[in-house]
Amino acid sequence: MNLLRALVLNARIRNATIGIIVLLVLSVVPVFNAPPPHVELAAEALLEHGPKWFTNGLLTTILVDLIIILMAVFAVSRMKEIPGAWQNIMEMLVEGMWNLTQSIAGHGSANSRKFFPWVITIFIFVLISNYIGLLPGFGSIGIYHSPAESHAQAELGNQIAMAGAETVAVSAAAEEGKPVLVPLFRSPSADLNMTLALALISVFMTQFFGVQALGMRYFTKFFKNPFKDGMGAVVGFFELIAEISKIISFSFRLFGNIFAGEVVLLVMAFLVTFLLPSIFYGLELFIGFIQALVFMLLTLAFFTMATVSHDDHH
Amino acid sequence: MDALDKLGISWQLLLSQIINFGLLMVILQQLLYKPVLNMLEQRRQRIAEGLEQADKASNAAAEAEAEKQAILEEARREAQEVRAQATRDAERIAQDVRSRADQEAQEIRMKAQADAEAQTAAVMADARRQIADLAIAATEQILGRELADRDEQERFVADYLAQQNGSGS
Repeated sequence: MNLLRALVLNARIRNATIGIIVLLVLSVVPVFNAPPPHVELAAEALLEHGPKWFTNGLLTTILVDLIIILMAVFAVSRMKEIPGAWQNIMEMLVEGMWNLTQSIAGHGSANSRKFFPWVITIFIFVLISNYIGLLPGFGSIGIYHSPAESHAQAELGNQIAMAGAETVAVSAAAEEGKPVLVPLFRSPSADLNMTLALALISVFMTQFFGVQALGMRYFTKFFKNPFKDGMGAVVGFFELIAEISKIISFSFRLFGNIFAGEVVLLVMAFLVTFLLPSIFYGLELFIGFIQALVFMLLTLAFFTMATVSHDDHH
Repeated sequence: MDALDKLGISWQLLLSQIINFGLLMVILQQLLYKPVLNMLEQRRQRIAEGLEQADKASNAAAEAEAEKQAILEEARREAQEVRAQATRDAERIAQDVRSRADQEAQEIRMKAQADAEAQTAAVMADARRQIADLAIAATEQILGRELADRDEQERFVADYLAQQNGSGS
């Protein structure tokens, strides 16, 4: 009874309740229904008859670059001792990352200075890539292609959608003959080329910094004389496999989280047009930040571990 | 390769992403990280300097305060001394004046006394002479004749007076 009275008497609660009910009712009105989600695993070529390499993922990567550079330019173009709001935000970002780097790689150490540009660039680039996919228009604005061309790709997308949720097994390509919408933008984090490139950079630079710090001794971590140290040779072999699998874990962790997040948003919008996706947007904002931080911290941790000699343990 | 193709991975795109990251890192290093870290360091130094100066200023103020107190204390002490000295001097002068006045008064009194005594003595001598004269004259009258020897007569009267004086006093 109390709850009911509050609903009627408190204007704010009453309005909110009415708003929620109206939105939920509108969600089932066919006019407002979102189209069935179009799930595409790979970044698609934008121009039907243009080059295959010009994908929506690539276009968005360039967009992300421009946004980041503009952010930097606005912060440092009129740099003042007493910072303005934007300068303050960017200083906070750089200083926070610098302190984080130092806390892991050692305060004031040469390693910190060496690792810093790599890890902070990873963080900023991944963060903006993750967030840009959440902007309205991503996945909804695009170019219609004739169905035959992108059939193979769409088929795979269909399978993914099937595996995800039986009820959402409707893909644009499944309806034969209809043109396929190729989105103009695609979050770079949902493009395996980008995540794999970062993973390769991260793992390669780990080896580079390792060799730089320890010389050829670095590789004794992987290769030991099996006649002198049989167990060590086996462990080293597993270390080598672990090192290579880092590439896969790095790239698919980021790709999986962001791609799945976008699919979840699409599915939620398809199920209940209003309200429900908002909750998942909040979740995606959180995941986007965490994934950027995870990629950055793991890279930093691997860099730091690679520069430490392993002979000391024995 | 077919699987990679389905995942949308192509070596051209991979390479472009790697180059993109490298370029972005170099650009941001020059554009963002270096200036911002320099600015942070600069600001840190400015703040450190400011704090140091504030420390210095407050130290100087404390020193000035201590100096002021010392000077005030010194001045107070000196004033005290001057006052004490003045009091002592005044007392001494008063003492002087008083003793000199006493002395003068004494002198005046002594002189007055001496004068008075001299006068008395003169008057007494005069009186004695007149009395002797009168006595002689009276005696002459009584005896009806002048004593033949005037000198003997005077001696006689003087003896008598001396006798009178001795018994009469």
